[in-house]
Amino acid sequence: MSNVNATTFTIVVVLFLVVTGAGFAAARWRRPQNMMHLDEWGLGGRGFGVFVTWFLLGGDLYTAYTFIAVPALVFGSGSIGFYAVAYTILVYPIIFIFLPRLWSVSRVHGYITPADFIRGRYGSRGLALASAFTGILALMPYIALQLVGIQAVLTVMGVGSSSTNTYLKDLPLFIAFLVLAIFTYVSGLRAPALIAFIKDTLIYLFVIVAVFYIPTRLGGWSHIFGAAQTHFASISPVTKKPLGTFLPTSKSIGSTRLDFASLALGSAVALFLYPHAITGTLAAKRRSTVSRNLIYLPLYSVLLALIALFGYMAVADPTTAANVKKSGNAQLAVPYLFQHMFPSWFTGIAFAGIIIGALVPAAIMSIAAANLFTKNIFAEFFKPDASPELQTKMSRWVSLVVKLGALLFAIELPHTFSINLQLLGGVWILQLAPMLIGGLFTRWFHRWALLTGWLAGMVFGTLAAYNVSSATASHWAASSDIEFGHTIYIGLSAVLLNLVIAVVLTVILRAARVPEGTDETLPEQYTADPEQAPAPAPAAVGATP
Amino acid sequence: MTQATSPPRRSAIAAHPLLSAGIAILIAADIFFALYTPIYARLTPKLGDFPFFYWYLLIFMPVTSVALWLATLLQRRLADDGEAR
Repeated sequence: MSNVNATTFTIVVVLFLVVTGAGFAAARWRRPQNMMHLDEWGLGGRGFGVFVTWFLLGGDLYTAYTFIAVPALVFGSGSIGFYAVAYTILVYPIIFIFLPRLWSVSRVHGYITPADFIRGRYGSRGLALASAFTGILALMPYIALQLVGIQAVLTVMGVGSSSTNTYLKDLPLFIAFLVLAIFTYVSGLRAPALIAFIKDTLIYLFVIVAVFYIPTRLGGWSHIFGAAQTHFASISPVTKKPLGTFLPTSKSIGSTRLDFASLALGSAVALFLYPHAITGTLAAKRRSTVSRNLIYLPLYSVLLALIALFGYMAVADPTTAANVKKSGNAQLAVPYLFQHMFPSWFTGIAFAGIIIGALVPAAIMSIAAANLFTKNIFAEFFKPDASPELQTKMSRWVSLVVKLGALLFAIELPHTFSINLQLLGGVWILQLAPMLIGGLFTRWFHRWALLTGWLAGMVFGTLAAYNVSSATASHWAASSDIEFGHTIYIGLSAVLLNLVIAVVLTVILRAARVPEGTDETLPEQYTADPEQAPAPAPAAVGATP
Repeated sequence: MTQATSPPRRSAIAAHPLLSAGIAILIAADIFFALYTPIYARLTPKLGDFPFFYWYLLIFMPVTSVALWLATLLQRRLADDGEAR
């Protein structure tokens, strides 16, 4: 703790305490009659309007991925990192197509998780189990990414880095993690929803200040772009290739246009297959709340584009670039940039913003994973008569277990580019696209065909991602590989394989007249807009308006 | 979008091919122009100090917002007309 800046440190600690207080107080916000019900703990009473939903979804979507991982990739490789910007543009038209339908059918039938819908639609417990398992698995690296983001900030702050003991070194991370775990346990979804307000205020503040102020310190945007262009064109002494690209190239291998587009498309489709994004959606009060949010949410994306440019600012600032190079960790680009550019008190605000910005989504994600486990694995296969109290208790505990799993991912996988953690989650979650998005529009797919396609996609995607190596890591080094002579995002190639198998097998199974299971949904329920949540259990339904 | 009492969407689409086509085009164009990289993976024309690739992506955000707002308006008319019939 030798080189800790006292001002920065104090401000981060104070803001962290404020947020912790808010996290515990959240249990009283819109207080339900009975907290021990999954609709309450896990969906905040299903009563969030446009405003809260906007903050909650924003809290979901803009995470350590945005503040640490994307600028790190931009800093290390250049233009390919801007796929994240194209991705956040593509997300909205794509979910416009299917998300309101999912909201409606879930509200009519009281579905809490995507697996609930799949079970109801295909009458298949096996398929629902597969989707629940995928959701939980895919969330772990994504939560791990949040922890890596927190770690990056703490490292630059100089907290804990003096010791060589892993546990002492990461002690502040464990403390942050513990606080997160406890307030999620107590307050459920209300905690991140309330904290999201504080988080967004801090983030808007420091991003806007940074975007206007930092370029004035670095000789303007023309110098920033110029420095980046020169830097990425220069030849690396190690690989004998350019350090990166300033524009996606028209070649077939490398940081290509196809790779860029496939990463953007894959990530965009994947986002709202994640159980936590669906949780945020289902917590909305009305169908129109969902579609109106699609108009306002792109505002966040503008922010993302500006944050991605921080990567170039770090390239253009010699001190930051040298610091990052010395540490050998691209994740530190943004924290070092802020530390060098801002006065220490403002650095404190920015750092607190990033830490809280990682805690909120981590909380939402672990709640979503816990809901999935409780509803679709525990209650479905082990204890069908579980009371709402028991289910909520179970969810609380599972949310802790999931976070521990994420901690393992964070420690075990290589960190060269933490963005791979998110992209790996994407490879897995994308395999739900045929059954979930497909199922919202058609009942044509056969359940066993979907299950086989899912299995093929999961196995292929996992093996392909495992086999990608680089100079610094022998496995899990990237999320794109070369298929048929072109670099492409593994998630996309895997889901195409998945889809082809699902289509072919559906034709065969239908011809063979294999029973296809009962469908409990009706066509008009996909456009319905009921005001009240249905009553899955007698207690505490719609407790607050 | 109070569709609880409206007839199924399918008939609304059949009754208003223009409105439905409008929504489809807005959404499809939004996806295409963000996805088809060869259009914008270039340096010029610059806007201020920003190379084309970078300002194109920035400008696209508010454009998406407006496109989706229009699509929502059209969809509401579709739903209202469906109810009126």
